[in-house]
Amino acid sequence: MPIANKGKTILLVEDEVTLLSALRDKFSREGFTIFEAKNGQEGLNSAFANHPDLILLDIIMPVMDGMTVLKKLRAGDQWGKTVPVIILTNLNEGKKVSESLAYGTDEYLVKSDWKIEDIVKKVKEKLKIEM
Amino acid sequence: MHRVLERQLKRCLDKNVSVSSEWTALLELISDTYTHFDEDRTLLNRSLDLSSKEFLDNNRRLEATRVKVEDQAKSLALEVTKRTKDLNDRIAELEDVRKAMTNLLEDFEQEQKALAEAKAKDEAILVSIADGCIAVNESGEIILMNQMAQKMLGFTSQESIGRKWYEILHREDESGHPIPPDQGSILAAISTTSTSPIPTKIGIYYYVRKDNTRFPVAITIAPVMLEDKIIGAIEVFRDITKERNVDKAKTEFVSLASHQLRTPLSTISWYTEMLLTGDAGSLNEKQKKYIDEVYRSNRRMVELINALLNVSRLELGTFTIDPEPTDITNLMQSVIDEYKFRIDEKNIQFLPSFEKDIPSIQADQKLLRMIVQNLLSNAINYTPEKGTVHCTVQVIKRDSLVDNHRVNEDCIAIIISDTGYGIPQNQQDKIFNKLFRADNVREKNNEGTGLGLYIVKSILDHSGGTIWFRSEENKGTTFYVTVPLVGMKKKEGTKVLN
Repeated sequence: MPIANKGKTILLVEDEVTLLSALRDKFSREGFTIFEAKNGQEGLNSAFANHPDLILLDIIMPVMDGMTVLKKLRAGDQWGKTVPVIILTNLNEGKKVSESLAYGTDEYLVKSDWKIEDIVKKVKEKLKIEM
Repeated sequence: MHRVLERQLKRCLDKNVSVSSEWTALLELISDTYTHFDEDRTLLNRSLDLSSKEFLDNNRRLEATRVKVEDQAKSLALEVTKRTKDLNDRIAELEDVRKAMTNLLEDFEQEQKALAEAKAKDEAILVSIADGCIAVNESGEIILMNQMAQKMLGFTSQESIGRKWYEILHREDESGHPIPPDQGSILAAISTTSTSPIPTKIGIYYYVRKDNTRFPVAITIAPVMLEDKIIGAIEVFRDITKERNVDKAKTEFVSLASHQLRTPLSTISWYTEMLLTGDAGSLNEKQKKYIDEVYRSNRRMVELINALLNVSRLELGTFTIDPEPTDITNLMQSVIDEYKFRIDEKNIQFLPSFEKDIPSIQADQKLLRMIVQNLLSNAINYTPEKGTVHCTVQVIKRDSLVDNHRVNEDCIAIIISDTGYGIPQNQQDKIFNKLFRADNVREKNNEGTGLGLYIVKSILDHSGGTIWFRSEENKGTTFYVTVPLVGMKKKEGTKVLN
C-alpha cells in the first residue's frame, strides 16, 4: 500500500451508489482516508466538518447540486476558498465547465471519459503526491 | 489783238480807216475780253472733259457692281429657295417628332400610372410582410417600417421614420449586454461592397421593445443597390421565441439523456477496469479476455454517445467555434503522437510531411483536433498491416489547384492518404452521411460509429473549411481538408463538441 497517501483525506460527493463505491474502493486501496456524501447538502456539511484535503464533486445530485456546493464552499471560510475541488460528472457541457472554472474548480472530469486509475493520478497530482 | 476780233474788224471796216484812240482802247478791251473768254472756255472744256471721264469711270464701276449684285442676288435667291426647302423638311420632321413625343408622353403617363399603382402595391406588400421589415437610407435613417416591425418593437412608423436605426433597434446579447451598432448590422450592409444578404446568427441577438421587454430575433440584412451604388439597406427580422424554446427543450433532452446514459456506462467502465487491473484479485486468461471484451465494447458505447451528442449539437447549431491562434503543425504532431501506438502496432509506415514555416492561424483547436483525429484514425483503422499513411500540411495560394480542385482563397491544406481498403465507387456519394459505413469496412472492422466523417464535414461546413476525397477500392483513400488562412469563422453557441 502506498505509504505516501496515508493520512490524506478525500471527500467523495456522489449520489450514484455504484459509482460511489467504486471510487471508495479504489481510493481506499490507494491509501486515502475517505469521507462520503450522497448529495450536495451532505457533502457541504461533511466538507466544513472534516476539512478534507480534496473534494471530488458530482454536479447533478438531489437536495443540492454540485454547482451550489461549489459556490457555498467558495463563499465560506478561508479553508473553503482554497480546498482543491475536482468536478467529476457525466454532464458534458461547455457552459457548466466554464461556470465551474469561474467558481474556482481545479479540474472538470467527465466520468465516462476517464479511467478510474487516471482519476487517482489526477488527485495525486493535485495533492502533490509522488507517484 | 484777238484773232477773231481782227477777222471781224477786217470784214466790217476798210483797211485805211483810221481809228481814234478811244476806239483803239475800246477794241483793246474787247480783245482782252475775247482772250479771257477763250481762256475761260478752254478751262471749262477741260473741266468738262475731266468730269465726263470721271463719270464714265464711275459708270463702269457702277456697271461692274451692278453685275456683281445681280449675281449675288441670283445666288441668294437660289440659297433662299434651298433654305426654304430645308426648312420645310425640318418642319415636317419636327411635326413627326412632335407626334412621336405626344405618343410617348401618352405612353409615359400610362406607364407612370402603372408605376404608381405598382409602387403602391409594392409598398402594400412590404408593409404587410409577416416578418418585421425596416429599410434605411445610406445615412442609416429609417425610411420604411412595416406593420409587423411596428407591432414587434412597439414603435410606430411615425415616430421611427427619419430617425437613425440604432435609436429604434436596440440589440442585446443573451445576457442582456447591449450590442454596439457597428457589430454585424445595418451599418455593415451600408458600407459593404458585396450585394449578398448578411445573415446574422440565430439566437444571438435580442431586440428590446419600446416597453423594455425583449425577444430573440433572426435577422437578415441586405444592402439596397441602385445602379451599382448602395442607397441604403433593408433588414428583415423574425421573432424566434418559439424556435428557441423548442431548441432549448431538444438540447436539454439530449444533454440529460446523454448524462443518464453515461452513468451506467461509467459504472461498467470503472468496475471492468478495476477487475482488469487486479484490484479484486487476479483473473485467469479467459476471464481477463472476457472482461476485456466487456470493457472495450463499453468504451465503444461511450464513444458512440459522445459522437451522437456532437451530432445533435451540430444539428441544433448550439455548438461553439472559438478560434484562437493555432500552430497546425504542433497540433498535427500531438494527434499523431496519440496514435503512435496504433501505428506501430499495425506496422504502418507513417510518412508525415509538413511544409516549413506554416503560419499560425485562427482555429478552434478542439474542433481541428477532432477533424484530424477522425481522418487519421480512419486512415490507420482502414489500412491493412504494413500499409502506408501519408500526412501532409501545406499552404495553398488562392486559385491554385489541389487535386484538380480550385482553391478559392488562401488556405492551409491537410492531406491524409492511405494505402487502405478504400471506399467502393458506388458508395462514395454517401460517405459523409450520418451513420453511413461502407460495406467493405463493415465486414473488416465493426468499431466505427459512422459518425466521424459526418461530424468532420459539419464542422468544416460551419467554420468555412472544405473537405473532399479521392478513393479507389483496395488501393487507398486520400482526404483533402482546407482551412482558410484567415482562420475559422467564429460561432457563438452554448455547447462545445467533445
